[in-house]
Amino acid sequence: MSQESCIICQIVGGKIPSKKIYEDEDCVAILDVNGANPGHSFVIPKEHHPIMERVPDFLVGKLFSVANKVSSAIFESLAIHGTNIFVANGISAGQKVAHFMIHVIPRIEKDRVNLQWTPKQLSEEEMSTVELKLKDSSKDIGYFEKKEPKKAPQKTVQTEEVVEGEENYLLKQLHRRPGY
Amino acid sequence: MPEEGMDQEDVAALQEKIKNMSPEELKEFQKKQCIFCHIVSGRVQAKKVFEDDKVMAILDINPANPGHILLLPKEHYSIMPQLPEDVLTHIFMVAKSLSNTALRALEATGTNIIVANGAAAGQKAQHFMVHIIPRKENDNLSFDIPQQKISDKELDIIREKLSKNIEAKAPEKKREEIPPVLKRLHEEHEKKIVDGEFKEIQPAPAMKHIQLGHDNAQKPLTGKAPEAFKKPLPPKKVSSDNKKKPKNKELPKKQSDSANLDDIARILGAK
Repeated sequence: MSQESCIICQIVGGKIPSKKIYEDEDCVAILDVNGANPGHSFVIPKEHHPIMERVPDFLVGKLFSVANKVSSAIFESLAIHGTNIFVANGISAGQKVAHFMIHVIPRIEKDRVNLQWTPKQLSEEEMSTVELKLKDSSKDIGYFEKKEPKKAPQKTVQTEEVVEGEENYLLKQLHRRPGY
Repeated sequence: MPEEGMDQEDVAALQEKIKNMSPEELKEFQKKQCIFCHIVSGRVQAKKVFEDDKVMAILDINPANPGHILLLPKEHYSIMPQLPEDVLTHIFMVAKSLSNTALRALEATGTNIIVANGAAAGQKAQHFMVHIIPRKENDNLSFDIPQQKISDKELDIIREKLSKNIEAKAPEKKREEIPPVLKRLHEEHEKKIVDGEFKEIQPAPAMKHIQLGHDNAQKPLTGKAPEAFKKPLPPKKVSSDNKKKPKNKELPKKQSDSANLDDIARILGAK
């Protein structure tokens, strides 16, 4: 589940002190000590998953729903003008720690955070190629893993011997009366 | 949403129009103005890469990288906090799958997932969306999230504010906790009322005193009302036999009160 070498797992496990703002059975939300803006938070699954593709679907849904709660809380409690939800998946995407996390970044007008891009010019042909490739492999999207209940109900086959008449203690109990 | 080529007057007129709208009208108006709602309904063409009953994924026409996907809910929402829980979780589960798709189909080595809430965060369209941007090494794209040292004090203040606010958003526990307290308070309150021992008269005076307050012409009555209101209180605190007597004395007073109140009712009826 957790990896000893992973700094995030150590934070989750409490070995490294952190500023937790939320915790439940699946995830924690902590404040970034070196945040882009005060209030910059991470939502982290407790289990060790390096990238989003390894996180079970239901957990992805839950993590983003917690990120949404954190984002709303930031909106309501801090004097800010917007929030970003940001995920970096893979080193080329700027991921620095091998433990999946969602950044919730409070935004102020003219802060130094830059999540903008200069649009790349693609030809119609290139766009169509990309479209077809994606369309083709997105066909099987639709089935999502659900959380398995922790305790699967055990199937125990009960064989009850029904004893007829006076011998059945269940029937006897029914007939038991004071003074009998 | 002022369009290009509009006069300043038109913009002003539009702003005035928006101001006077009800929330429902405003939402309908936003829908009509929203290019992404038009894409969802099929009136504007786009390169769809995925669609189901709740969401649609299209290619960004101004992509950060080839394969830049915009994932939208079909319903119009401006920002993330407006999304219902089920749509929110669904949309991000699809986002994960699409990210996976992009990694496989486009041989990307990573993906960025970005949501912008508010203009300060870089939101440009009035329709909530999730950006899924495939990444490759040296793709000339850099998202800069600078770091700054935040003091421990400030962090603690923020932590306190945020954790309280998030807790308040998860009312499951509180729903169970609060009502019993309220119930007990309510029961105690009701007991106190019963202690007053004016079962027949009590509900009526409470109502009629209010009516009295409105009618200044009935001065003798307004004078009596506070007395009757105050006297039943002391017996509650000390429940000795002596205290029962004043209660009995009060009863006739109440009756006279109610008689006068009848008069007022009649006068009010006459008016």
